Amino acid sequence: MLYCPTIAAVKKNNMKNTSKSKPFISLLTLAVGTILIVFTSLGVLAQSPSSNPPSVLPVQNESLLSLEVIDSFVDVRSGPGRGYPVFYVVEQGEAINVLTRRGVWYEVESASGKIGWATSKQLSRTLQATGEPADLPSVSFGDYQKNKWRVGFTFGEYSSGELKGADLFSATLSYRFVSWLSLEGELGKLFNSEVEGEFYNANILVEPFSNWRFSPELILGAGVLSLDTQPELAALGINDSNFQNYGLGLNYYVGRNFVVRGEYRWYSVSADEKVTLESWKIGFNTFF
Amino acid sequence: MAKAQSASSFSKNDIDSEFLELGANIGVINIEDFPSEYALGVNLTFRATEDIFLQLNLMSVSDVGLSSAEKNQGAFFSDGDRDFLHYDMLVGYNFFQGEFFTSSPAAHLSTLHIVGGIGETEFGDESNFSYVFGLGYKIAFYRSYILNFDVRQYVYQSSLIAEDDTTVATHMSVGFSYLF
Repeated sequence: MLYCPTIAAVKKNNMKNTSKSKPFISLLTLAVGTILIVFTSLGVLAQSPSSNPPSVLPVQNESLLSLEVIDSFVDVRSGPGRGYPVFYVVEQGEAINVLTRRGVWYEVESASGKIGWATSKQLSRTLQATGEPADLPSVSFGDYQKNKWRVGFTFGEYSSGELKGADLFSATLSYRFVSWLSLEGELGKLFNSEVEGEFYNANILVEPFSNWRFSPELILGAGVLSLDTQPELAALGINDSNFQNYGLGLNYYVGRNFVVRGEYRWYSVSADEKVTLESWKIGFNTFF
Repeated sequence: MAKAQSASSFSKNDIDSEFLELGANIGVINIEDFPSEYALGVNLTFRATEDIFLQLNLMSVSDVGLSSAEKNQGAFFSDGDRDFLHYDMLVGYNFFQGEFFTSSPAAHLSTLHIVGGIGETEFGDESNFSYVFGLGYKIAFYRSYILNFDVRQYVYQSSLIAEDDTTVATHMSVGFSYLF
């Protein structure tokens, strides 16, 4: 998801539109603009930079962000990736419309109608005026995110206790309230040759240094574990049992939107008798 | 008179963010020891960065044919157990990103990617933890409409034919997905 503008003092965009106040011109301008936006969103102009008509001025539309470039220039590439060629350069003082975002890449449209992709780093000071986070070295990883939701999966193995050696995986969804506190829901399954089981739990994640690239995390939670047996028989004392878990994790932020997480957990299961388990897991998560 | 929209009145929901893809695919799966069958699948992809994505897949085959051992001895299992179901969660890496050109001057984005991850395979009366790895090619032939070609291997331990055998199922598919 996207970012809330926080800074009110903004360089307003002065698009060089010949200002006429006649309603007919405004209506025609709006119609041309709407067609241009529709055409753009169909991707035709985006995919063929060489066929853009240079004389068309992009027109104001309530749903587009218009910016004036503050940095000395902005490289515009033909695709949202560092390997695509730069086919146009927007100079300082020129106006651009921001059309779409894919991760750190923004699809921009220049005043002459050229459409291409620029990174948020290139637009950093310009975007910062709108409250978008700037992609500057000093900006941290965990709290770069106005993206609050995190989704991903983990897999690992039980390393000690009655289920030692069982493989497990889970899907996770978490919501970050503040930079150091998240709430996570987890749904998973475990397998070994005798046993198959499911579990779901809710965890509180405390990550005090989320602005570091390697960031430690404390995990506290509780859930329910239920076991079935595979065709090969083995009976264990755990069936639909509540458990508490606590653990330590380490988050490694790869890029801006991707986190690799390693963790080790201790479980305390309230079955017929108390069962303790331990597991290690690796997880992959992305923010949105 | 057209008015420039001031950035201070702009809210975060106004920039369209494209990161989620929903797709469906059809293909052929070759389950070790069993005949090859057509398979249908659906998937959900989260594009994390320009290089990395996370994907959730679900695929199934109904009524897999008899293996050669079963043709001699009769079916080992029947009815619902003959349906093959697999779901997985993968991490993917785009490593040959590029553009390709059709007859028009338009350039379309494309990428070769590898995927790897874990999941579950249900077949016979078994549910097995599976490893998945594969290779694929994606073409955005029309901005948000993407054509996917994938070859994937599902590796799991199965006792259906022999005791605790490492079984590999190979799944080749072609699919469409929509980016929104």
